[in-house]
Amino acid sequence: MTPTKHIEMRNVRKGFRFFTLEDLSLDLEPGQIMGFVGPNGAGKSTTIRLLTGLLAPDAGEIRVLGHAMPEGQAIAKRDIGFVSDEMRLFGHATLEWHMQFVASIYPGWDPQYAKTLVRRFNLHPEQNVSGLSSGEHVKAVLLLALARRPRLLILDEPTSGLDPVARHELLGEFMDVLRDEDRSILFSSHNTVDVERISDRITFIDRGRLVDSSDKEDFLERWRRIQLQLPAGTKLPDLPHVVSRVVDGQFVTLTTNRYSPDLVSFLGAGVREVQRMSLEEIFVANVMYHRELRGS
Amino acid sequence: MNMLARKLIAKDFYLNRWLIIGSTVAGLVGLLIATEGEIRFNIGMLTWLTTIVAFGVVLAMNAIANERKDRALQFVLSLPLSHGDYVRIRVVGLLLCFLVPWAVLSVGAISLVTVLPNLPDGMLPIVILLCGFMLANYSVVLCGALHTTSEGVMTIVIIVTNMNVTLFIFLILGLPALRDHLHAPAPVWNSIFWTVLSVEIATLVVTLSLPYFVAARRRDFI
Repeated sequence: MTPTKHIEMRNVRKGFRFFTLEDLSLDLEPGQIMGFVGPNGAGKSTTIRLLTGLLAPDAGEIRVLGHAMPEGQAIAKRDIGFVSDEMRLFGHATLEWHMQFVASIYPGWDPQYAKTLVRRFNLHPEQNVSGLSSGEHVKAVLLLALARRPRLLILDEPTSGLDPVARHELLGEFMDVLRDEDRSILFSSHNTVDVERISDRITFIDRGRLVDSSDKEDFLERWRRIQLQLPAGTKLPDLPHVVSRVVDGQFVTLTTNRYSPDLVSFLGAGVREVQRMSLEEIFVANVMYHRELRGS
Repeated sequence: MNMLARKLIAKDFYLNRWLIIGSTVAGLVGLLIATEGEIRFNIGMLTWLTTIVAFGVVLAMNAIANERKDRALQFVLSLPLSHGDYVRIRVVGLLLCFLVPWAVLSVGAISLVTVLPNLPDGMLPIVILLCGFMLANYSVVLCGALHTTSEGVMTIVIIVTNMNVTLFIFLILGLPALRDHLHAPAPVWNSIFWTVLSVEIATLVVTLSLPYFVAARRRDFI
C-alpha cells in the first residue's frame, strides 16, 4: 500500500489585498526533508499557515497527514510539530510549565528526549520565558515541538536570528528527527546554506508562485555555469535550456538548468570552464529566470 | 468538555492567577472599607466597582488581545484544536476566570447590605443589578476582544464599556421604581427590577453566543 503523503497541496490559491498565492501544488512524502526556499514576501509563511490550518484557501485542496485542511486541523495537528520564528511562548510562565503543559496534551511526549534537548540547548527549565534571549526562545519552542515526536515537523524560518553554533545544533536535531522513516520535515528558509545542508528535496517559491521543485541532487546536477571564450565576430546561437547569458566582449557566461555533456560538446573548443553551482546561486538564477519569463 | 479544553482553561487560570487573586483581594478590601460611615461606604463601593470593571478589561486584554499581540496565539493554535474549539474554550475559560472574583465580590456586596444594620436592605435590588451589569459588561468586552484584531476598535470597546458603568448607575438611580425604595427596610422586587435584570441576562446571552456564530466560523485566524 502506498503510504499517505504527509503534505498534498493541489492548485491552491489564497488572495490578499496586495499579494496572491497562485496555483500552488506541493507534495511531501514520508521520510523526506523539504527545504522551502523563497525571498522575503515570496509566500512561504502564507503556505505554511495554509498547511497548519491558520488560513483557509480560496481555491484548491490541501491535505496534511491525510486530513483535509483546515477542516481536519484538530486531528492533523496531533501529529504536527509547528514552529515559526514568529511564535512566542507565554512570557510569565517557566519553560518547565510549558513542558508540562505540552506533555499533558500530547501522549507521544518523550520526557527523556526533552531532558536531552534541555541539556543540549543549554536551557534552564525553571527560567521564566520572558527572561530567555531570542535564540533561547527559538530553542525552547523547538524543544516543545521536537519532544512530542511529531510525524510531520513544519518549520517556518526556525533558524533566523540564531548564531551559527545554535543553527548547527538545531540542524543536527532536525536530522535526528528523521531516524524514523515515517517522519518528515518541511523547512522554510531564505538561508540556502541551512536548506542545502539538511534537505533532500527543495522547492523554490517567488512572488506567490512555485518556481521549481525537485530533489536537491537533481538541482545540483542539472544546473551549471559555463564560461566560454568566443573568437572575435562569432555569435552564439540560441541554445535550449540556457536561462541566462552574460556577454563581456569575447567572454560569455551561460547558466543552464539542463546541463549535459552534449551541451559542452556542442559549444566546442570555446568552453573554458564548467562550474557547479551552489544552491544559493541556483535559487537566484532560477528566480530571476522565472521573473523574466513572467515579464515582471 | 474534552481534556484539551480543560488544560487550556486551567492554563487561563494559571496565567491569570495573580490578577484573579489580586482583584479579589482588592475588591474585598473595598467592601471592608465600606462597612463604616457614609464617606467610607462610598469610597469602598467605588473601589469594589472599579476593581471588578478593571479586572474584566485587563483579563480580556491579557488573555486575548495581548496573546495575539505577543504572538503566543500561534503557539496555542499549533495545538490540536480548530478555530471553533479555540473560540469556545476562550469564552468558557475567560468567563470562568471572571466568575471567580465576580462571584466572591458579588456575594460579599450582597452580604454587606444584608448583614450590616446601618445599610438598608432596600439597596439589595440595586446591588444585584450592579453585579449583573458588571457581568454583562465583561461579556461585551470579551465578545469585542474575540472579534476584533484592531487595537483601535478594542480601545473604543473599553472606553464605551467603562462609560457604561457611570451611565448605568445614573440610569438605575434615575428610575423612581428603583430609587424610591433604596432606603426601604426591605427589598422591593418590582417589574422594573426584573426588566433591567432581563436586559442584563439577554446582553450576557447574546454577547457570549455571538463568538460561537461569528468568531468561531472565521476561516482565517491569523
